[in-house]
Amino acid sequence: MSTIDPPEELLSAYLDDELTAEERALVEHRLEESGEWRAVLEEVQETRELLHSLPVREAPTGFWDSLLQPDIAPPVQLATARARRGKRALSWLAGAAAAAAIVAVVVVPGQSQVKPAVATLVNRHALRSSVSEEPVSQLAPVTSPVKLNR
Amino acid sequence: MTTDGVPTWEEVARDHGRFLYNVAYRLTGNDDDARDLVQESLLRVRRGLETYQPGSFEGWLARIVTNVFLDEVRRKRRRPVQALPDDPDRVLPTVAGADEVAVAAGLSDEIQAALASLPEEFRVPVVLRDVADRTYEEIAGSLGVPVGTVRSRLHRGRRMLRTALVQSGALE
Repeated sequence: MSTIDPPEELLSAYLDDELTAEERALVEHRLEESGEWRAVLEEVQETRELLHSLPVREAPTGFWDSLLQPDIAPPVQLATARARRGKRALSWLAGAAAAAAIVAVVVVPGQSQVKPAVATLVNRHALRSSVSEEPVSQLAPVTSPVKLNR
Repeated sequence: MTTDGVPTWEEVARDHGRFLYNVAYRLTGNDDDARDLVQESLLRVRRGLETYQPGSFEGWLARIVTNVFLDEVRRKRRRPVQALPDDPDRVLPTVAGADEVAVAAGLSDEIQAALASLPEEFRVPVVLRDVADRTYEEIAGSLGVPVGTVRSRLHRGRRMLRTALVQSGALE
């Protein structure tokens, strides 16, 4: 048997059956020798039993019902919702830009001899929107940059 | 239950809610904070269910509720909240939890008060072991500390709890 005194904290692990065989033998040997260790063991055991005897705390009446109602169920992660909102706003802007360009070409022909590069305009507008230079999207209540590549 | 055997969020709340609430209450020491803790934990459960690996489900839940609790403790330390003045118009819930009925016959209140008096680093291992019935290895995993640290904190926590109970007159 080792002559090294085992640390007292092994007593809790002894009661919880969380020791190796070697550690258990050490503790049992020490308990045989020391009345102080036996007293500590008794106190820890009593405390542990008190904790185990605590009744299960039930949630207040109605808590689970309210939590499980569909309209109160945990919301979608805030960041995800923000990202979705941002994507929707950008889609609207891109759509509006495309519609404006089509109107310019189809509805008002002949006002200009220069043929507008519609695709280039739309793409340029979408690009500006995607880097948050679009003033309308700046108004959206989004506090963090929106990631589009998700 | 989903087709891959992973419970739905609603099933978790229904089947493990009692366990979750009990652990949350023993960690926080009051119903208001326990409710918040359970709700936030269930949010994380919902997010985590997609990646949940079958194992000890209550061990996984205990880990989540512990992490949410410790996050909140850290947040409060960074930004201490000042108590609001009493609002006479505020309607407080008056429904008692079931164990309040049993308090008169036992030491439930005194034990809970002693538990609440422990610093979190000792309270959490005590609750995880003696309330949530987790192994030392699971507790170590939840806290991100070695098993030896769990042994030490748990033993010290129990000793401190006993001292608090003696000082309050609940134990001789």
